[in-house]
Amino acid sequence: MRRGLMRWDAAELPLDRLEARIGRLRDELELAGLDGLIVYTNIVRPSAVHYLTSFTPYWSEGLLLVPLHGRLVFATALSNRVADWIRSTNPVSEVISTPRPGALLGERLAGDGLAKRVGILEIDAMPTELFDDLSAAAPELRWADGSVAFANVRRTIDAAERRMLAQADALAVAALDQVRTAGHSEAGALAGLIERRLRLAGAEEVLIALAPDLAADTRLNRVLKPTTLSGRFAVRAAVAYKGGWVRRTRTFASDGAVARANAWFNDLISSIEPGKPIGAQIAGRLSPLLGATIGNWTVEGCVGSYPLSVVASSRQPGNTVPTAGSFGVLTVELLLERGPWIGAAPFVAGERAL
Amino acid sequence: MIAHDRRARLIAAMADAGLDTLLVYGNAWQCDYLRYAADFGSLEGQGLALVGKDGQVALYLDSPLEVDRAELDCPDVEVTYAPDLLTALDAKLDQLRNHSIGVAPRRLLPRRIAARSAELELRDATALVDRLLMDKMDCEIVAIRRAARIADEGYRVFVNAARAGRADYELIAETENFFRANGIEDNFQIIGVGGTDVKGMTPPSGRALTRGDLVTTELTPSVDGYYAQICRTLVVGEPSAEQRAAHALFRQAMEAGIAVVRDGVAAADIARAENDVFRAHGLGEYTSSKYTRVRGHGMGLFADSKPHLLETVTTRIGAGMTLIVHPNTYHPTVGYLVLGDAVLVTADGCEVLTQTRRELFSVPA
Repeated sequence: MRRGLMRWDAAELPLDRLEARIGRLRDELELAGLDGLIVYTNIVRPSAVHYLTSFTPYWSEGLLLVPLHGRLVFATALSNRVADWIRSTNPVSEVISTPRPGALLGERLAGDGLAKRVGILEIDAMPTELFDDLSAAAPELRWADGSVAFANVRRTIDAAERRMLAQADALAVAALDQVRTAGHSEAGALAGLIERRLRLAGAEEVLIALAPDLAADTRLNRVLKPTTLSGRFAVRAAVAYKGGWVRRTRTFASDGAVARANAWFNDLISSIEPGKPIGAQIAGRLSPLLGATIGNWTVEGCVGSYPLSVVASSRQPGNTVPTAGSFGVLTVELLLERGPWIGAAPFVAGERAL
Repeated sequence: MIAHDRRARLIAAMADAGLDTLLVYGNAWQCDYLRYAADFGSLEGQGLALVGKDGQVALYLDSPLEVDRAELDCPDVEVTYAPDLLTALDAKLDQLRNHSIGVAPRRLLPRRIAARSAELELRDATALVDRLLMDKMDCEIVAIRRAARIADEGYRVFVNAARAGRADYELIAETENFFRANGIEDNFQIIGVGGTDVKGMTPPSGRALTRGDLVTTELTPSVDGYYAQICRTLVVGEPSAEQRAAHALFRQAMEAGIAVVRDGVAAADIARAENDVFRAHGLGEYTSSKYTRVRGHGMGLFADSKPHLLETVTTRIGAGMTLIVHPNTYHPTVGYLVLGDAVLVTADGCEVLTQTRRELFSVPA
């Protein structure tokens, strides 16, 4: 659940930017022959509603109706007592508190009589009670998957989103910069130190994971019991700032190969080329790291309701290529001469920095 | 051990209900059903688990990062990375056509799977799991006791962090630091800062504490996945007479509710005892849904577990249940105020698990 700073700031995310996003979505909906789009949100899948309204629920769930014309409607199971807070972070939609958001939006759609075919973002994954309520309240409507229409809007990021992502990344970098290879002995204390730094700087959410002994196990996890850090460990910080999520992973060890890998990765991140498979780009630039071999790699993006979901990976078939201006987080695992190395950082394809 | 005991109890309940397989869904918001069955606490993405009547658990996750975590945390569970989660489950369910399959919680089940309910004769097993979630085993109560203790300690950290000029999110940053450093995996926490302008608690919005503010918080850390909650209110500077009087009323209401808790009462009885105190002071209006959500609730693998303590909820309270009793609501003179303690229901009453003093705390202005 969210418990960090959650506030809409018009200077950071101007109202006209939200309206432009909604306008672009409406264009895509028209092209797809849809009379509106229903978008689900909870703390795990907040990104689509946030992109359109600036609102993320701290708890519970809700549905946003984006009609082709007229005001957006956000119906949520969150209590009416927090409706004013929701309105303070969501300047674009009507806000209604109801125990049955699906029924309410279904009744709205059925009542206006104009909508015939309505899209649902990620329709297959919609919680069944909400879908049942929607369809029962609007039995004449035809429902379709609106995921492609929404993803078309999310192919590139706009300036406001870039600012949020850059701020989230700056917080993550600053928090990881305070970590010293030999300066910490206990993994939980280190996780707390990083999380404190991030939340004091205004992070909306923080997820810290560590691999306390990279030589023994490269998998990262929360720290739930006293754990001693080895001389080679990794820290992952997933950080949200005003709805923008990034992930940074850094390896800490005192050997020079890690420093060289870090520099190599920074160079790679700032030169991701659009139109070329990521795997080939990683492999093609590995030669400066003598003796290094590539393990798994992953690219995460934000194209639907998830903040970060895998869009390309060494573990998945396919040859997905980044498009110019698209945002992603690249995670790479290497095996260096003296042990494993893991790095992750955000990028914008075709550009040197966020 | 706790996971083993839970699973044995789940298998027995499935056998009683004639289920061969149980399909459970979970995510970081509502993870209790998945945690009960697979012992996995989700952080990102979504998960589905199939529990066989032989006790075998197959966990499907759509995030590779979560797969790594599940392999570490749940060594006796078969973990599968399923980037297309629903297609993977469709295929698995096709292999189970001759099984009697229950699903929980049905309301959150992805629509595509629920749409196969008739074809696969999926049965709603939500109530079956709900019962297990509410009635705690001794090993679960041990975890909740530990969570209650850490909630007390967390509140001390919160109070020590509070002072005039600090922003609301800074208080939570200090609390989270303490929790992470002590291996606490999660914490549900909301906050309110101000006076009569504050109608409830929300996430921090950046408001700085100023003299005279009430600072309310509901703090809910989890241990081994089990949440325990504490609700307290502090004042920046010396409390006013009105704030003290309001707090005394809330304390009276909370203690009236706690006094009623015992094996065999209804959830409504506890809520009514709390609300009667407000009614006796002419403040009955503030016990309505316009001003308050619930008068307490269950605690367990979900921060806001069943049963909800409301005058309309007839759920029988049984020994071994764990509850938070909190008459949190708006007070017309001073604003939103909270006070709540975690309790363990016993045969002849209850044991209060949280030990923080029931006072209106004060911090430097």
